[in-house]
Amino acid sequence: MMDVKRVISTIERKYIKNNLKKEERLDGRGLWDYREFKITPNFVAAAEGSADVSLGETRIITGLKYDIGTPFPDLPDEGVCTIMAELIPLASPLFERGPPDEQSIELARVVDRGIRHADCVQTKKLCIEAEKAVYILFVDMYVINYEGNLIDCGGVSALTTLISAQLPEGKWNGEDVEWTGGYFTGKDIVNELPLVITYGKIDDIIFLDPDLPEELVCDGRISISSTEEKITSIQKSGVATFSFDEIKMLCSKSLEIGKKLRKDLNLWQYKANIE
Amino acid sequence: MVLLIKDEYPEKLFQENGKRLDGRDKKELRPIKMEVDVLKNADGSAYIEWGNNKIFAAVFGPREVHPHHLSKPDKGILRVFYRMATYSVFDRKRPAPGRREKEISMIIADCLEPVLFLELYPGTAFEIFIQVIDADGGTRCASTTVASLALADAGIPMKSLVTALAVGKIDGELVVDLSGIEDKAGEADLPIAITWFNDEISLLQFDGEMDLSELDTVLKDAKEAAKKIYEIQVNTLKNKYISIQNNIEKEKGGED
Repeated sequence: MMDVKRVISTIERKYIKNNLKKEERLDGRGLWDYREFKITPNFVAAAEGSADVSLGETRIITGLKYDIGTPFPDLPDEGVCTIMAELIPLASPLFERGPPDEQSIELARVVDRGIRHADCVQTKKLCIEAEKAVYILFVDMYVINYEGNLIDCGGVSALTTLISAQLPEGKWNGEDVEWTGGYFTGKDIVNELPLVITYGKIDDIIFLDPDLPEELVCDGRISISSTEEKITSIQKSGVATFSFDEIKMLCSKSLEIGKKLRKDLNLWQYKANIE
Repeated sequence: MVLLIKDEYPEKLFQENGKRLDGRDKKELRPIKMEVDVLKNADGSAYIEWGNNKIFAAVFGPREVHPHHLSKPDKGILRVFYRMATYSVFDRKRPAPGRREKEISMIIADCLEPVLFLELYPGTAFEIFIQVIDADGGTRCASTTVASLALADAGIPMKSLVTALAVGKIDGELVVDLSGIEDKAGEADLPIAITWFNDEISLLQFDGEMDLSELDTVLKDAKEAAKKIYEIQVNTLKNKYISIQNNIEKEKGGED
């Protein structure tokens, strides 16, 4: 493993780049291969839903807490889902203490947008009484180990957390919200399964799932979220530029890779079972 | 925070058969599992599952001090950052570190410093990051225990390990290792840490009411229980080196 405590040298950059040109990667993957996903649902007893997800050595533990609050005035009959990410210094010497920086806000926002625009969270079902009471979901991601591509790991982690969640079901009694004794699970909370897929770019070479050394040397990244049929959000970051053809190619590639990944991960198996 | 299911405590903390709510005897510990070398980017790391508590600790150092004015010319400094995940508790915790987290960080730093040889590392800092992922009573003690294990995993010279646990009084009975409910609904809570090189107490807090003889008994119980935890700590460290040795022998075997 590459030591993250130092700056990647020009010679290492060249080495990684030359290998990529030959369609070879340091860890033996092909250009369009993911590292292995490992998923443990319901890792946290205190949370209503949670997931411990590893993508290679990158590891994120996500948990869900809820609150009953008043809805936004422009969406009076919809629940709210907010996503937060913390890059804690425990995960890497590259992370520092303090309020969320650009990188953690980007991670939270990209994962959030991928989920928000895909009709993933059943916001209408999370409304107890229009204009009065809705569920507010807090999905909080903590990066435990950083070895590149936090976005894809975070996306699967947030999705698994939502799927595994069990929310106490509330009803409106005319004045207040009370617990019915039942729970919302699985399909009550989640509808579509959008997956976010990230590619790195060095010069004119594009590859899937950059690991840490690749992320440190690459010119830029592009993250594409998609459901089974549609692209739902895109985020380009870094100084790389992409041609129109490349974007087109990556979008169709994302649908194809997304389909396979969705099938391989089979996230619905992590749905909470309530007797 | 408005939650549909309320955080209510039971009236009695013992069952009819004299056992505690989670089925334990008065002097019984919750199940404890430890692991070292769990985080590849840290100089040393450890993970503990203590009942429902799940806590990671990572050690970095000796390294440069930020901000620089904190560095001391004659010795290194130890900084501890104890943080709880927002979802680790019943009511969602606000993401920014609060007063409680800052106080506990300081308490743990003061508790661990006596076992280190900081005078050997002038001008540097050791930083311990503790992340509580799941909390169910006694996190400061579990954090201290796991942090001392992470220091040892980092290969930092130490006089000994440190073991911490909470003892206390619930429904008038003295018990060891309070769970979350027992901590909140009980009468007294006494977290304590022992530095084994001199058998002395390095962390001590107390909230509640006890008379002198009770205090004396409970401290004795604490030391006895701490010995069991200390054994788990030592075995966890030993197992790491045994598995390294096994791996080397396996590789050697492969070459022949």
